[in-house]
Amino acid sequence: MASKGTQASWLGLRHLTLMVIAFLMLVPFYWVIKTAITNENIYAYPPNLLPQNPHLFNFVDVWYLIPFPRYLLNSIIVSAIAVAGNVVFNAMAGYALTRQFAGRNVVLALFLSCMLIPFQATIIPAYLITAKLGLLNTYFGLALPMLSTIICIFVFKAAFEAVPRSLIDAARLDGLSEWRIIMRVLMPLSKPAVATNVILTFIWSWNNFLWPLLITRDPLMQTLPLGLARFLSYMEDTTGALYAFAVMVLAPSILVFLMAQKEFIRGLTSGATKG
Amino acid sequence: MNHWWSSRWFIVPGLMLLVIVGWWLYVGQHDNGLIEGRVVDAAGQPVAGATIRIFDRGFVTHQERGQTESDAQGRFRITDNTSHSVQLEAETAALGRSERLEVRLWFAAQDARLEQPLRFKTKP
Repeated sequence: MASKGTQASWLGLRHLTLMVIAFLMLVPFYWVIKTAITNENIYAYPPNLLPQNPHLFNFVDVWYLIPFPRYLLNSIIVSAIAVAGNVVFNAMAGYALTRQFAGRNVVLALFLSCMLIPFQATIIPAYLITAKLGLLNTYFGLALPMLSTIICIFVFKAAFEAVPRSLIDAARLDGLSEWRIIMRVLMPLSKPAVATNVILTFIWSWNNFLWPLLITRDPLMQTLPLGLARFLSYMEDTTGALYAFAVMVLAPSILVFLMAQKEFIRGLTSGATKG
Repeated sequence: MNHWWSSRWFIVPGLMLLVIVGWWLYVGQHDNGLIEGRVVDAAGQPVAGATIRIFDRGFVTHQERGQTESDAQGRFRITDNTSHSVQLEAETAALGRSERLEVRLWFAAQDARLEQPLRFKTKP
């Protein structure tokens, strides 16, 4: 049996390793923030490790030089629609997959196989369907491909399967419909799955570039990633304002993640172990 | 018992909303587009009758959008600034042009009283 001293030194070494890895992962973030609050060029040599003459005016420039508030509003609306759609539709699909029905395994296999197909391969049919529905250049059109995602369906399925069967049977005996069982019994017991859905969908929708690029016609319907590309094409440099824009695009998704990270981690690990 | 108002999903957005509303109110009270300052020569003496030009910031250049004149004490007042980032320049026939003074503001049309005067390099 290892002595307490050996255990403590192993623990210290492990923490030191984790700190070094965390530091290495945070360096790019630090560099972006440092560049955003100075006027230094990111390729300046020799680089300054600490920000020289820091200021926040780059953020003001971003706010006024392009229609940033409009892009922000567009991104918020599209992400809100995508998050709402994911929570509702994925919960319904996840619940259906916990039930026994003919062809269930085929549906599961179909879902799993669809995960192998990249979005780029289905983007033309997706565009044609959106056009047929008359949703090009609209918020619903922007959110349409994100309204339900297979990974998040499986997150709900795993969470619902962890709820004791007897609880659902009791709810059914009390006269609850299937829809009310989802809303009143399963959803309150699956908060980590809801948080996981919210975070993943929000981040995916927030960072989505290709789909908004294809279906927006009006510059005022563009979302933040498109605005970032447009800003880059105007500025054509690698100084503070561009990185201030990147920080402003990143900040909301980091905030959502920080707020829901506890449930998110619980949601990802629920169903990982049985018993 | 956990109340909905003690949830971080209420507190964090609520605080953000409060800050945003507070900021809007502050901006609403201070966005009259006033910029006040002084023009001095190389000796620090006020320059009367200098033409003050204001340049708005575009993406890569600054464009002239107006001008005014300094009074007998060398003071000037711009009343219609709409930008968040401007440059100011003074000019007289005798002294030529001053160096441009960059003025960065926290929001568009923010009222500002400049501490640093517009300074000519040459003496009269």
